[in-house]
Amino acid sequence: MVGCCPPMDLMRSEEMQLVQLIIPLESSHLTVSHLGDLGLLQFKDLNADKSPFQRTYANQIKKCGEMARRLRYFREQMSNAGISAPPKSFTRNDIKVDDLEVKLGELEAELTEMNANNGKLQRTYNELVEYKLVLQKAGEFFHSAQSIAAAQQREMEAQQTEESLDTPLLTDQEKSGDPSKQVQLGFFTGLVPREKSMPFERILFRATRGNVFLRQTTAENPVTDPASGEKVEKNVFVIFYSGERAKTKILKICEAFGANRYPFSEDFGKQAQMLKEVSGKLSELRTTIDAGLLHRGNLLQTIGDQFEQWNILVRKEKSIYHTLNMLSMDVTKKCLVAEGWCPVFATQQIQDLLHRATLDSNSQVEAIFQVLYTKESPPTYFRTNKFTTAYQEIVDSYGIARYREANPTVYTVVTFPFLFAVMFGDWGHGICLLICTLYLVIREKKLGSQKLGDIMEMMFGGRYVILMMAIFSIYTGFIYNEFFSVPFELFGKSAYDCRDLSCKDATIDGLIKVRDAYPFGLDPVWHGSRSELPFLNSLKMKMSILLGVAQMNLGIMMSFCNATFFRSCVDIWFQFVPQIIFLNSLFGYLSFLIVLKWCTGSKADLYHIMIYMFLSPTDDLGENELFSGQKTTQIVLLLLALVAVPWMLLPKPFIMKRQHENRHQGESYIPLQAEESLQGEAANGSHGEHEEFEFSEVLVHQLIHTIEFVLGAVSNTASYLRLWALSLAHSELSTVFYDKVLMLAWGYNNVFILIIGIIVFIFATVGVLLVMETLSAFLHALRLHWVEFQNKFYFGDGYKFYPFSFSLMVEEEE
Amino acid sequence: MGFFVTSLIFLVIGIIACLCTRICFNRGPSTNLFHLTLVITATVCCWMMWAIVYLAQMKPLINPILNEAE
Repeated sequence: MVGCCPPMDLMRSEEMQLVQLIIPLESSHLTVSHLGDLGLLQFKDLNADKSPFQRTYANQIKKCGEMARRLRYFREQMSNAGISAPPKSFTRNDIKVDDLEVKLGELEAELTEMNANNGKLQRTYNELVEYKLVLQKAGEFFHSAQSIAAAQQREMEAQQTEESLDTPLLTDQEKSGDPSKQVQLGFFTGLVPREKSMPFERILFRATRGNVFLRQTTAENPVTDPASGEKVEKNVFVIFYSGERAKTKILKICEAFGANRYPFSEDFGKQAQMLKEVSGKLSELRTTIDAGLLHRGNLLQTIGDQFEQWNILVRKEKSIYHTLNMLSMDVTKKCLVAEGWCPVFATQQIQDLLHRATLDSNSQVEAIFQVLYTKESPPTYFRTNKFTTAYQEIVDSYGIARYREANPTVYTVVTFPFLFAVMFGDWGHGICLLICTLYLVIREKKLGSQKLGDIMEMMFGGRYVILMMAIFSIYTGFIYNEFFSVPFELFGKSAYDCRDLSCKDATIDGLIKVRDAYPFGLDPVWHGSRSELPFLNSLKMKMSILLGVAQMNLGIMMSFCNATFFRSCVDIWFQFVPQIIFLNSLFGYLSFLIVLKWCTGSKADLYHIMIYMFLSPTDDLGENELFSGQKTTQIVLLLLALVAVPWMLLPKPFIMKRQHENRHQGESYIPLQAEESLQGEAANGSHGEHEEFEFSEVLVHQLIHTIEFVLGAVSNTASYLRLWALSLAHSELSTVFYDKVLMLAWGYNNVFILIIGIIVFIFATVGVLLVMETLSAFLHALRLHWVEFQNKFYFGDGYKFYPFSFSLMVEEEE
Repeated sequence: MGFFVTSLIFLVIGIIACLCTRICFNRGPSTNLFHLTLVITATVCCWMMWAIVYLAQMKPLINPILNEAE
């Protein structure tokens, strides 16, 4: 900034340089890998014209992709089996990538084979389970049918002699059908999904025109379907039919309904034998399957132990080849040429690293490191820590700073939470917020390593912003004297008292000031009084303007810092000076009047003064005069403001034109375009120097800038009134919750109502005040910084430094 | 306590905070300057807020009129 001071952290982005690395082919992989570990070099793509398939290392990338696919397959299998990979097991048994590729292939083959076998076994097992069910249920059915038939037989024999009306018709028929005439009935047994059982029955009935007898029983437990492997509720059925045609029809229907049929024999002896056989097979299969699953689990566990390590290795490998693909091959095909941006401070580190890589890879030739000179604008890189990162991100989301321009983050760290707190002044709420963030801050190590939800992630990222917001809200809460909207007499006695002992006038004429003003913050006596709102409104409105003017002046001062840094006298004299004069001759003067009015206790009308300062500056001020010579001062200020406008508008374009002409004076020869292309890619950005100077364009640009500033001065000052509006809304809302919920519930003298009141109060406070109000105050503070503060100096048209870094890569994947 | 005495207290607190950060977080001249800026900005913000509220209550034009219910 200035010569006498050391450069301030974060004020300017790091100095960057464009460097060229010439790396021998044999050490290129290791070099890039080391650079990825360091993470301070942003490679430029020198093969932008080539498609991904035409590049040198396309095959290696394909291989890495294949390995990544295998790893994803393993992850899927592991999550199915309920095995979780330990997040970071740093058991450093170094494995080569080629070995890993072979190993992954073997493991995949083993796993797929195992899965196929297991699947087959499982299917057989499920079929057997179903078969067993059929055997049991149908067996029961046949058994009961047999016993009923036998009973009927006996009954019939008994009844044969005595015919009566009671004899049911059906038995009559059955009786008449003697065994010789009986038609041979066929039957099927099987299982059908329960939800399909009704349509199944209906279709069967229709298709065979009722010449079918279907019997169903429900299987108590859901059965695993062999085909799909899902648990399904099923019914066991037995179908009796007669005739070949009916048989084919039934078979087709069974198939259509996914009803599995199983052979069944009428003979009880055979049934028992089958049942025994099936049970035997089942237990055998169970042990086989269990053994298989155990084996698979073990395999997956061993994979899981090293999974994260492999995963990182593969991703690193892939990114290394991606980077290598961005380098251009030298004509001799013996070395690779890389170009990229790196911060100047990293020069030594990178050189050491190149040296180490050469040694490690036993290369005969050392890599060459050289700095290129370019007109291209370098990327913007701020070295932030865990505290400042969130603030830098707030600024970055508006626009990345131009290279080396003044960084608003330096002030945002304080002013952002401060302006938030002006809108969120309540030390009770501040303490709640503080407790929440303290939890996040204290447990940041643990929380940082685990995955959080979307909203939680955002809260965690901004924990230091919220921490500062909470601390400042506690401070402003003391200033506003509000604790969940309740005032406390913490800093001495109220300055006001009754006029006399009887205190009759207190509700009509009001109290009277008997002491010095309340020493810290707002006098508690105002709370709940009839004149609270007029007083608070006047105070907060004026406070907003004062804070706003202060912050806008700070913004213009930042533009001064920029101008001195870039050594642009034009910007100082024809931008900064008129701007600061314009703003302060109008709104600086207003601020001065506000303070003066407070100090003198004058009853002058500030609106009147400000309006007539423009309308009729020569008129007498009368009773609105705050200080002697005010009229002259006002005329001078008004003239200054009027002069400042053309001062901002006109000289700068003309001076720029002169400068441009001077620079190109005597240049009767225009450099050939071909010359430039000979210089190779290093001169890529040098077109900028020869660009045409369009005077009208510059003038229009300056005109827009001037108009924006002049109108902005008014509208931005008005915009700061949102501080007043939001802080008013906050205090009114918390008063409502306190008075109309908590105090109302208290008034009933009933424990039950009180508890309900407390619960409602807590929910309203948390939901509306702590969440919604925090959000809205946050957004308004954001706007005040982005628009009102930053438009005074911030260009924000840079681009971010994005180094090739493994740690960044890992973060992103997560 | 008048306006100037309390302002002086703010100043003293600011200086103490500056010294504290200088002693506790000494991380080279650039970072120290950054810390100094933060502490000064914070102190100025807090002081401004207090000063505004204090000044507004010094010679108020409105007096508090109590509510009848109270």
